[in-house]
Amino acid sequence: MTPIISVRNVTRSFQSTKKEPGFKGSLKLLLKPKKVTKTAVHEVSFEIKKGSFVGLIGANGAGKTTLLKILSGLIPPTSGEVKVLGSQPFKRTIEFRKKIALVMGQKAQLWWDLPARDAFDLIQAIYEIPEKIYQERLHTLTEILNVNSLLHTQIRRLSLGERMKMELIGAILHWPEVIYLDEPTIGLDLLAAHHLREFLKVHNEKEKATIILTSHNMDDIEQLCSRIMIMKEGKLIFDGDPEQLTKTEEKRLRLTFKEDISQMKLQEILNLDSTKIIKENDRNFLISLEPKAIADTLATLMKQTSVHDIGIENQSLETVIQNLYTQSTQITGFNL
Amino acid sequence: MKHWMWAALKNGLQDSMAYRSEFLIKIFVDAAVPAIVQIILWYAIFDLGHQNTVAGYTYAQMMSYTLMTVLFTQVRGGDHDFELAEMIRTGELSPYLLKPLNVVDFIYIRGVAHRLFVSVICLCIGIGISVFTELSPLRLIGGMMLALLGNLIHYQIGAALASVSFSWEEGYALLMVKNRITMFLSGELIPLFLIPESYAWIWKSLPFYLYVFGPSQYALGNWSHHEFIIQFSIGIGWLIITSMLTRYTWRTGIRHYQGLGG
Repeated sequence: MTPIISVRNVTRSFQSTKKEPGFKGSLKLLLKPKKVTKTAVHEVSFEIKKGSFVGLIGANGAGKTTLLKILSGLIPPTSGEVKVLGSQPFKRTIEFRKKIALVMGQKAQLWWDLPARDAFDLIQAIYEIPEKIYQERLHTLTEILNVNSLLHTQIRRLSLGERMKMELIGAILHWPEVIYLDEPTIGLDLLAAHHLREFLKVHNEKEKATIILTSHNMDDIEQLCSRIMIMKEGKLIFDGDPEQLTKTEEKRLRLTFKEDISQMKLQEILNLDSTKIIKENDRNFLISLEPKAIADTLATLMKQTSVHDIGIENQSLETVIQNLYTQSTQITGFNL
Repeated sequence: MKHWMWAALKNGLQDSMAYRSEFLIKIFVDAAVPAIVQIILWYAIFDLGHQNTVAGYTYAQMMSYTLMTVLFTQVRGGDHDFELAEMIRTGELSPYLLKPLNVVDFIYIRGVAHRLFVSVICLCIGIGISVFTELSPLRLIGGMMLALLGNLIHYQIGAALASVSFSWEEGYALLMVKNRITMFLSGELIPLFLIPESYAWIWKSLPFYLYVFGPSQYALGNWSHHEFIIQFSIGIGWLIITSMLTRYTWRTGIRHYQGLGG
């Protein structure tokens, strides 16, 4: 299948003026501005097939949003080649714009003082959606997201979660083939986030829309994405199945001892550094281990300590990703 | 006119009327305050200075001019270019850039809805006054058409200047300068015939006089129909030039857009 999104060696740099603190800094900025160049995205390459649900994750400033802006055509890459739906996004042809949507959790597209319905009517006119189809879509979306009764309420009177749902409806009323979601569940309560996730899952499966989601909420990623891409300092350091990531990672040994034991003593017995052992209390510990080292570790512990209970668990995706953020090199063995 | 343009106009009108009291008070204050200031000023010049005419105009003629400028100034506009500059600076422009439309046209049409509504009110007031005076309703309508053309030119100039914000964060400063120059050279503050003839080329070679001075002159009968047609044609020429300038500056500027704040 031909990829719907194709990115080849894309780099994006920004130039900005650096301001030093204080009045002196302001004066310097006025007289002799100091320019700094920052590379937000560095030599990134990947392909995405139609109907995929991809999670794009990374720490703050990793380059996720910049990449989404390039893919949506808001900004051009400094170098490299991008193709989305067969065209270069930054050319922003009318046809291209009709087929994509970008939802930014921190950017509103609906008008504050107007009811959502008025904004949706304008969106209908902009995208030339036939009346019957518009009514059907609006009905479906408002039912699923449970905001039917709020259509005639001014946006500013809605809660954050309700507003986000309206933003999402406004962004996909034209049934885009590619949807970019930048932290859509930011600020939402558990229930609202759950509803939004459910909706996105159904929409992706039913309409075969290609969705790229960035989120710091690992529940979003784990529940929705069959593929994740991890960015760090502008580089793509992982691209693959989330299970692939957790399976190959260290396991967690949950231990309860009959007597109190110090973390220092455990480190000595197991010859591990402090980052591998988490102390919950004087008798409960979590130890991160390579799967192959578990048996030997247990044998050593049985001999030298009084173990009361043992549990072995997978690392959570969140922990694995936290580890990735702190590692300095790209993960090897994955299709990058 | 495309379908979305009507929808944007309707949406803009709904938006501007969201705060009804504010909407009406703003119209009243925008018109009343400059009118009162000018009436007091001209009274001071004529009465306290013991003058019968100023630049060949009597007090009554000057009051008629003042009244007309107050009406046409309400149509001038000049705030939505600030909105454009701010949207570029803060990255709020992003959702609009992804819609299948021309963002400059869209912001204008949504924003002008308010001015169109105001122009209808001003025209009604003007026609109301004409019943009791020698003013011609036909000339008032012509003047209003020229003022609306001026509004369009003014926005195009503003949009071109706003595009400076793509590469210079403080680009909106240019819009402030533009608005100050406009206030003076549109005839809004003082009648342009008070400017010495040797300097008249300055205002005649810029489009600003078409916003307020021109419409007032035609409405008051100081311009013939023939002169009006010539000036309207000049206005169309300015509109074509400024539209082309806006399209060029946006096409160039958009490459520097950073879409901040995401």
